Amino acid sequence: MDTASTYGLSELAMQLLVGLSRSMILFIISAGLSLILGVLRVPNVAHGSLYMIGAFAAFTVNTVIGGSLGFWLSLILAPLFVALVSFAAERALFCHLYEREHLMLLLFTFALMLILGDMVKLFWGVEYKSVTAPDILKGSVIILGQPFPTYNLFLLVIGPVVGFGLWLFVNKTRVGKISKAAAVDRMMVGALGINVSWVFCTAFVIGCFLAGLGGALVAPTMGLTLGMDHAIIMEAFLIVVIGGLGNIWGALVGSLIFGVTHSLGVMLLPQFAIIFPYVAVVIVLIFWPRGLLKSVW
Amino acid sequence: MTKGKGIKRIFSLAGIALLGCVFAMSLVFLPGHAAARDIKIGLVDCYSGGATTFTYDVRDAFQMAMDKVNAKGGILGKKVVVATRDTKFKVDIGINVTKELVMREGVDILVGTINSSVALAVGEIVKKEKIPFFCTFSKSDKITGAKGHRYVFGITENTAMIGKAAAVGLAGKPYVKYWIAGDDYEYGHALGEGVWKNLKKLKPEVKLIGQSWWKVGEPELTPYLTAIMAAKPDAVIFATGGASMVNIMKASKSTGFSDKFPMFIHTATELSTLMPLGQEAPEGVLGTSNYHFYYPDTPENKAFVKEFRAAYKRYPKVGALYGYLTAQYIIRGFEKAGKINTEKLIDALEGFTVDSPVGPVKMRACDHQAELPMFMGVTKKSPDYPFLIAAAIETIPGAETLPTCEEIKKLRSKKQ
Repeated sequence: MDTASTYGLSELAMQLLVGLSRSMILFIISAGLSLILGVLRVPNVAHGSLYMIGAFAAFTVNTVIGGSLGFWLSLILAPLFVALVSFAAERALFCHLYEREHLMLLLFTFALMLILGDMVKLFWGVEYKSVTAPDILKGSVIILGQPFPTYNLFLLVIGPVVGFGLWLFVNKTRVGKISKAAAVDRMMVGALGINVSWVFCTAFVIGCFLAGLGGALVAPTMGLTLGMDHAIIMEAFLIVVIGGLGNIWGALVGSLIFGVTHSLGVMLLPQFAIIFPYVAVVIVLIFWPRGLLKSVW
Repeated sequence: MTKGKGIKRIFSLAGIALLGCVFAMSLVFLPGHAAARDIKIGLVDCYSGGATTFTYDVRDAFQMAMDKVNAKGGILGKKVVVATRDTKFKVDIGINVTKELVMREGVDILVGTINSSVALAVGEIVKKEKIPFFCTFSKSDKITGAKGHRYVFGITENTAMIGKAAAVGLAGKPYVKYWIAGDDYEYGHALGEGVWKNLKKLKPEVKLIGQSWWKVGEPELTPYLTAIMAAKPDAVIFATGGASMVNIMKASKSTGFSDKFPMFIHTATELSTLMPLGQEAPEGVLGTSNYHFYYPDTPENKAFVKEFRAAYKRYPKVGALYGYLTAQYIIRGFEKAGKINTEKLIDALEGFTVDSPVGPVKMRACDHQAELPMFMGVTKKSPDYPFLIAAAIETIPGAETLPTCEEIKKLRSKKQ
């Protein structure tokens, strides 16, 4: 059987690029999860469900508006819808639970995941859904003599843009700085007369917005199905754990490790590709049990 | 004194009446007592998550057929009652709900499920309970093969049949170097092996240059495709199903994979794959399926499609055929047996042929596997529908793809 030795450098580079584009999606989703973990200390299992809602909402926007405009609007409207849902959930439910222990919060978000999953079934039905990418992002471009999907190239651009936006929010805005402080010592922030409850709410909604954005962004690359929430939440949590709990840049590092080891593994040892990212997780946790970057927990 | 006697009499009368009531109720409610009872059928299937795209069609078409027979007075004068239970795609839950249907509901017949592991577990239960079980959607060939027995009936085509049908189709093509990729679980591997074993037999010069397996539901298949492209096989066999079908079709188009490599995917031409993709599906992908609502173009199929669409406002997919065919076997089988007795039903069904939207389908006596035909075609744009359809359809009769009765016998004698 053929082995890696027959692959040229350009093919390996191509594989690396494909892996990087997947990392961007993973980063956007797990950065949101990490933000919520860091500021609110809530392990939000329902994050995957919000990602699923984002994808299905993007489908609806695309069906109602249609064309390229529908797609670009869906990238804004779908995450906004998810943000709205999460805002309602936070004000009605979450905000009463912050003082409880982690286990209670975990159970609560688990319940929320089941409820949201069934809501999606009620609203959107059981059929597979598919979103079409706009014409300029369809097909592939030739890079290094290999065809590379244009949409993945788009993901490689949008990932850093979102990352920069997140950096601006955390470091340059007042509420971002406060949430950073609240992550370290929420009692102190409260003692300074800041309404911690609203800071938490903002961080939660922004984290969920990112989940929705991730959902809207993957929509054109895959079939939308019930159960896509479960598929992503495991990976997102692993990424957050290896990156350092609550550290957004840890989420970036974790996503890169996850995406790239997976895609290179697929080429080098295709029969065992599934285990590569998990082996990477194990190695990281053996040597850096608290994650690669500083965990805020 | 007389007053006291009167009270006593009232009490004793009430006592007798009560006893009578209990006795009458036991006649009606005790399981196994068929005197004045309806025919109770339990549907055990996965009604949550991604599988529902397929299982709702089975359930709805089955219900549609039973509603029709109930409106006409039932089967041999007995009404059919259907109870559904959700397995959540899990074996332990599947076993629990099956037992509950058998013990508490006292069902006469079981129908389901889409998960092969659940189907095999239910098969073990019905063997002990002696209840007929119609396996509607699980494609493991063990169900009516090595693990088959008197009480199990297979409706859907299984991996042995798909493998043979695909091999017949691929052997006629000039490809030599193959790559196999698919879902890393029972169905994927069984399918891949089934196709490969048969293809190798028909065309010994074929070579397997590599394989890749992804986890079930893997959202991002692009890295798999780019890696296969780098290996440059002549053709690729995808042993995947369910949610991955839409993903693989999308990724193969956006990477340009489908333009460069001939692909075979078992359910590529099915409506559940092609409808959501709209015009986005790649053309020229070779696929097989048991059913298309537009093929065969016969009055029977048209009538079925019309009835299903009127009832549920959507096109019937392959699951609808499975559900409907199962109902036909039960209804016609009881009618042939002449009485409501499940042992008699099993005897009646062996070698029995019923009409279906795809023509008459025989239930083979030796392994209880329905001889459903397989339709092999390529995806193609159509002026009539907003999605791609299967074109250049070749029909492969079920009897040709089934393992022989001798092979089944050998498989069954091997165990234990």
